[in-house]
Amino acid sequence: MPEPANQGGTNLFTVLVADDNDVAQRLCKRVLEKAGYSVIVAMDGLQAVDVALSQRPSMILMDVAMPGIDGLEAMRRIKAELPTMPIVIASAHSMASDTDRFLAAGADKVLSKPFRLADLVAIVAKLAQEKKVQEKVQDGK
Amino acid sequence: MRQATPLAAIAAVFAVEAAAGAGPVLVFPLYLTIILLTALQLSRAESLATAVLVAIAIVIPPLVRADQPGDIATAVLLAVVLIAAAVAIIAVVSQVRQKAATAQRRADEIAASEERMRMMLEAAMVGLALVDGDGKWQQVNDRLAVILGRSRDELPNLTIEEVTEEADREVLGEALGHLRSGDIVRWEADLYQVRGDGTRVPVSVAISTAPTRTSGQSLLLVQETDISPRKRLDGLRDCMVGIRHVIVSGLTWEQAVPQLLGGLCSHLDLDLAQFWAADHDRQALRVRHYWHREAAGFEAFREESRATAIPMGSGLLGRVWQSGVVAAIEDLSRVSDYSHSDLARAAGLNSVLAFPVVESGVVIGAIELLARHVREVQDDEVTMLSTAGVEIGQFIRRSDTAQALRRSEADHRAIFERSPIGIVRVGGDGELVESNPAVLSMLEYDFEAMRSSAWPDLLRAYDQAAARQQMAPLLAGITSGSSVQIRAATAGGKWLWLQLTATSIPDSNGRPEHVLVMIEDVTTVRETSDQLAEALESQRNANANLEKLDHTKTEFLSIVSHEFRTALTGIQGFSELIRDGGLEAEEVRAYGGYIFNDADRINRLIGDMLDLDRMESGRMSMRSGDVDINEVLSEAIERASTGLSAVEFEADLDPRLPIVSGDRDRLIQVVSNLVNNAVKYSPDGGRVTLSSRGDGGFALVSVTDTGLGIAPDEIGHVFERFRRVRSGAAQSIPGTGLGLTIVKQIVEMHGGRIWVESAVGHGSAFHFTIPLAAEDASPLQRRHA
Repeated sequence: MPEPANQGGTNLFTVLVADDNDVAQRLCKRVLEKAGYSVIVAMDGLQAVDVALSQRPSMILMDVAMPGIDGLEAMRRIKAELPTMPIVIASAHSMASDTDRFLAAGADKVLSKPFRLADLVAIVAKLAQEKKVQEKVQDGK
Repeated sequence: MRQATPLAAIAAVFAVEAAAGAGPVLVFPLYLTIILLTALQLSRAESLATAVLVAIAIVIPPLVRADQPGDIATAVLLAVVLIAAAVAIIAVVSQVRQKAATAQRRADEIAASEERMRMMLEAAMVGLALVDGDGKWQQVNDRLAVILGRSRDELPNLTIEEVTEEADREVLGEALGHLRSGDIVRWEADLYQVRGDGTRVPVSVAISTAPTRTSGQSLLLVQETDISPRKRLDGLRDCMVGIRHVIVSGLTWEQAVPQLLGGLCSHLDLDLAQFWAADHDRQALRVRHYWHREAAGFEAFREESRATAIPMGSGLLGRVWQSGVVAAIEDLSRVSDYSHSDLARAAGLNSVLAFPVVESGVVIGAIELLARHVREVQDDEVTMLSTAGVEIGQFIRRSDTAQALRRSEADHRAIFERSPIGIVRVGGDGELVESNPAVLSMLEYDFEAMRSSAWPDLLRAYDQAAARQQMAPLLAGITSGSSVQIRAATAGGKWLWLQLTATSIPDSNGRPEHVLVMIEDVTTVRETSDQLAEALESQRNANANLEKLDHTKTEFLSIVSHEFRTALTGIQGFSELIRDGGLEAEEVRAYGGYIFNDADRINRLIGDMLDLDRMESGRMSMRSGDVDINEVLSEAIERASTGLSAVEFEADLDPRLPIVSGDRDRLIQVVSNLVNNAVKYSPDGGRVTLSSRGDGGFALVSVTDTGLGIAPDEIGHVFERFRRVRSGAAQSIPGTGLGLTIVKQIVEMHGGRIWVESAVGHGSAFHFTIPLAAEDASPLQRRHA
């Protein structure tokens, strides 16, 4: 497996925020950067697929309702290439049925909008921790 | 003898002269006596000759003896005297004799005439008689006595009325009265008279007043002819005519038979008639029908007959059955070959006659005829009865067939007439031939109206319905009896559902002759099922609508909550950041801006949603007034230009555009919304053109931009709620997603129409129409949508 270009150090955990909403994008970027993560953004589904495949972020925070292809289609395409890529669906479609729908579509986690900042950070931190453990296991071999 | 008389006279004279030499004294009387006798006996000439001879004889002796001339003269004188006397005597005698002869001749003539008359009277073929003032027979000829069956001695004790049948007496009495009074001189009639043996004889009577020589006694001359043969022939003819009349009268056998039997009796002067029918197995003849005149004893005879079964060949009837030939016993007292001869005679029946009833060459029964009087059977009567038997036999068969047909026909007629189902009979050309009451009451037509107007409509409707069901038309000779349901109006205008079931009825060659159509009113059934189907359909629709509504509601809720939560994401997130503190003042201000914008967006969203809800539920009130569209457009341009927009505005307004009718504020909302959209989706340097012009009864307004344009797959949805154009560069352009939906609602509420033309990369053009105010446009045009 080739190493992602911007994932040189183990501490550098990169989150791709894919959201067509400017405000939501800014919020996530601000909160996650403050929490010590690297953030890259995409404005719609197609862009998200492009960025995900080209830059190989550590995880993706994906909105659903986006122009062009929606978040779920983008996720399907990304998972097809990168099956282990952790993808968190962050959607204002936040009814119980929606959550089930997203998980069924292959999401690792679902984050309902609006969200508490701590929840966003906790989800990302958890994934970052899992990644770290995974890498240690790999290193320990 | 007569010839000898003169000779005897002469001899006598000579004898006397010779014997006595008597003188003239003796000779004279002797001479005169001789002359008288001669004249009485002989003709005149002979008498004269005798007288001369006798005179000579008397004169001769004196002459012989006369010596003297005197004596001679005396003798001559004597002779002359004698002859003269003789001539006188002869003349007288001759005259007397002539008279007597004439009288004698006349008497002889009268006698001869009377004899001739008597002969004629007796020999006459007609009965002749004189009756006196009391009606008593005076002189009756033999013929009349024969006609009346009475002796000539007996008749003078009877009156003409006494020998006339009771029924004819009155008219006869009346006629006699008129004859006697001299009102009439002759009266003729046919009547019945009663013979000595009590039988009736038909006679033709002519009575005239006889010329009477002796006053006081008015005699009537009665002339009678026995018209029995004529009557009998008439009777036979009338009998046959009567039988045929009954046969063709259209009666059934049961109805006709009393008339037939009664007719036979009255025409043939009979008293009782019975129809004996052969059993099915042809074992016996039994009485089936009877007729008789009112008389004592007939009932018993009839009862006895009814209890009798006559085997073939037995007795008179058995023989008739067996032989098929008429048979008769003219006088029952003389023959015993008749099964109930004694009973018949006890009933006063003395003559019997029977003839076979033949059908298709088979004797199927016999008719027995009985008469009280001894009755002669003639050949022509036998012929007539044989013919009658055949005709009656044919009639029985026809009647049986006809009765079966009638029964069948009656059954069908009853079905036709009483059926609650409508039935019509249709001819080969589709014309209505017959229609039962059910049809007429169902459709409220009389037959004529039904035939002329309602039926052709029904026929057409049938054919159309049949065509839809891929069936044959009505007249194509349907035999399957398939049904078609059609809609038809009654005369009263009530609409019915009719079920028509057609069956073609073939003629004897198997070709369809006519069609029977059963017509049922299935309105109730149909309406019930229609209502049921309708109810089910509406239930289904309601369910579908509910589902759809539910779905729409869910979808709407999902969209709205998504919109709200999206806006809230920023508000909640950034406000949380601010709350947690530790931010630069610059950051706080920026985040406050985000929060404000999203809060504002939520507010607008709520406003638009409430607007739309009011419009869609019809609760939005419109203040209708005169609006100058050009003014609205100019103001919109003015307002939009004051902003920081880098878009160029252009107005292309028709100065002659009439005033429109509408709610000014709402129209401003429409125009502003479209202008804002145009600006939003136009890059810097773009141009937005507002134009107006009249279009029929409408003002046509267009807002054209040189912006991004709308993709073909999205253009159909731009007026749907929350359908924001998000593709490409448009994705970041804010909006509630309800603006165009509201615009469309407002335009349509004004009675106008909105549509969009667009090409990606070239821009979009939104057009809408608003009706012109009333004074400038007709209401019809205003309603155009």
